Amino acid sequence: MAVTLLLLLLAVVLSLAVGSRTMAPSAVWDALLHGGTSDDAQVVRALRVPRTVVGVLVGVALGVAGTVLQGITRNPIAEPGILGISQGASLGVVCAIAFFGVHTLNGYVWYAFGGAAVAAVCIYVVAGSGRGGASPVKLALAGAAMNAFLASVVAGILTTDARALDEFRFWDVGSIAGRDASIVGQTWPFLVAGLLLVLAMARGLDALALGEDIARGLGRNVALLRATGALGATVLTGVAVAAAGPIAFTGLAVPHIARALVGPGHRWLLPMAAVLGPVMLLLADVLGRVVVRPAEVPVAVMTALAGVPFLVVLVRRRKVVAA
Amino acid sequence: MTRTMLRPPGHTVLRARRSSFLLHRRSLLVAVVLTALLAATVVASLCIGESFVAPGEVVRVLLGLPSPDELVVGTLRLPRLVTGLLVGAAFGVSGALIQTVARNPLASPDVIGVTHGAGAATVAAMTFGITSYAVLPYVSVGGGLAAALLVYLLAWRRGLHAARFVLVGIGISVALGSLTRLFVTKGDYLVAQQAKVWLTGSLNGRGYDQAAPLATVLLLLVPFLLWAARAQRGVAFDNDTATALGTRLDRDRLGLGALGVVSASMATAAAGPVDFVALLAPQIARRLTRTPHIPLLCSALMGALIVTVADLLARRLFSPTELPVGVFTALVGAPYLMWLIVSSRSSRSGGTA
Repeated sequence: MAVTLLLLLLAVVLSLAVGSRTMAPSAVWDALLHGGTSDDAQVVRALRVPRTVVGVLVGVALGVAGTVLQGITRNPIAEPGILGISQGASLGVVCAIAFFGVHTLNGYVWYAFGGAAVAAVCIYVVAGSGRGGASPVKLALAGAAMNAFLASVVAGILTTDARALDEFRFWDVGSIAGRDASIVGQTWPFLVAGLLLVLAMARGLDALALGEDIARGLGRNVALLRATGALGATVLTGVAVAAAGPIAFTGLAVPHIARALVGPGHRWLLPMAAVLGPVMLLLADVLGRVVVRPAEVPVAVMTALAGVPFLVVLVRRRKVVAA
Repeated sequence: MTRTMLRPPGHTVLRARRSSFLLHRRSLLVAVVLTALLAATVVASLCIGESFVAPGEVVRVLLGLPSPDELVVGTLRLPRLVTGLLVGAAFGVSGALIQTVARNPLASPDVIGVTHGAGAATVAAMTFGITSYAVLPYVSVGGGLAAALLVYLLAWRRGLHAARFVLVGIGISVALGSLTRLFVTKGDYLVAQQAKVWLTGSLNGRGYDQAAPLATVLLLLVPFLLWAARAQRGVAFDNDTATALGTRLDRDRLGLGALGVVSASMATAAAGPVDFVALLAPQIARRLTRTPHIPLLCSALMGALIVTVADLLARRLFSPTELPVGVFTALVGAPYLMWLIVSSRSSRSGGTA
């Protein structure tokens, strides 16, 4: 845990120091503590600090949301992006832009939540019904179908509204660049609310991991557990999507790395995921700034590319496919 | 010499001198009905537009007779329609082949990364300033083939497990999708608009330039498709049965899969990834014909029908705004896929669905 926290610190420092203008950590430190009006100080305070903070916020949200989703579905490939929950949030934002004249993040957030919630409910109903419950393939396919459906609605709206497309396409790519500090101010209460919901049901996740019947035998209310967990994960996804756009695969990879480090107990797993999420996101973001200098690759592209090998390795393990 | 009549139920034997051919009567009927419907849709689609053209005039133009509506029907509407027909047929065939190989009604070129690969490659090319329709189809096909190959290699582990194939395909699709979005932001505003429309699968502004390469490839594929129609029956069995029947399973699967991938990539090159046609058409066709395997011809007809009807609706429903046809097919196709997932109750689907 201590090592992971150090890693997070390192990621934060890198995120503050690396960019089209690379500066020494000491300069960053100076800018943070003493302010000043030098170019370096301006860049750090006006651009990189908000970006880093947004990155941490989104990373925590996605890491925890992925862990909880994998816990309540008992399915190793559950993830907000794959399940279409992020796409639901996207649709909410598009509607906000196109129909309700909302152009501020404060406005987006509610629509993002609404969209995410509706998508989450639909997915769960679809994947969970039928024989065998929510097997990985069913979940993935239901998610893919949901993604395609919502994407086509989004595309339909955007084709008829070119102005909305121009606003939306930059948000849609999933990036933490150019988000200003007010985003953090507006979303942190939701992050806290989501984390509290998750915390409230976290102990039940361990029981649920043993199977529904055993969890029930241990005196847990399985339906309530699942509902609380799903609600928490949805709120967290809504936060992440509202702040940074759809970012795939972070919620998939982080819980697996965390599990490899601290084992399956959710008491350690959730905090670990909450720390690893921002680490992965910030490192991916830093990498994205470096690979095609002076241009930037948005963080969502980097996490998607980094996450695919994970999925492939997971799928190639016998357990996932047999389920 | 008495000739024993070993005839499967529902089939008619066609004999021409020494060769004979089994014909599934219901399939034939379905094919005829679908063709008739398709013809009706073709005429309707040529009649309806900004201005209405009388069906009689449309038929005159189609027959090459002089007509005052030559410009509107023959020059403006016909090329788009032809592209739609070819694209639909290609997606239908492709879906039928890939579903046969995967032995899974849920597999389709959309799901296993082909269309996303073609899409990513094409949008990338557009962003780098290649907008010529002489080059783009080849880029798409290259992208589709590369993505399919990648999925195939990654999913291969002592055999090709259908579930693994689908999961890897979805993963690769997501990654390619995010790459595509990246390219959309790289381009300027006009390229973004063009790419966005292309990515949803649109027939707007498509004509003979796009249809010609597709038609050529489909014609070249015909002999292979005839082979496929035969090989398909062997592949549809499970591994042990097929091997016992003397099917060269790996070779046949590879061949059928490659055919499916090529036709899906070509169709994507022509009209963009028109979602779900490849998934829907074969399943509907199969339910209509009630054959044990997926019928190729009826799938192609069904695909063409779906695309032309969807395009007609997409053009007129929100007129004067035109929606991309892909929006429509996805709006219908995605709920259908979900219904398939929900209703897959048979024990056999445990491993595949």
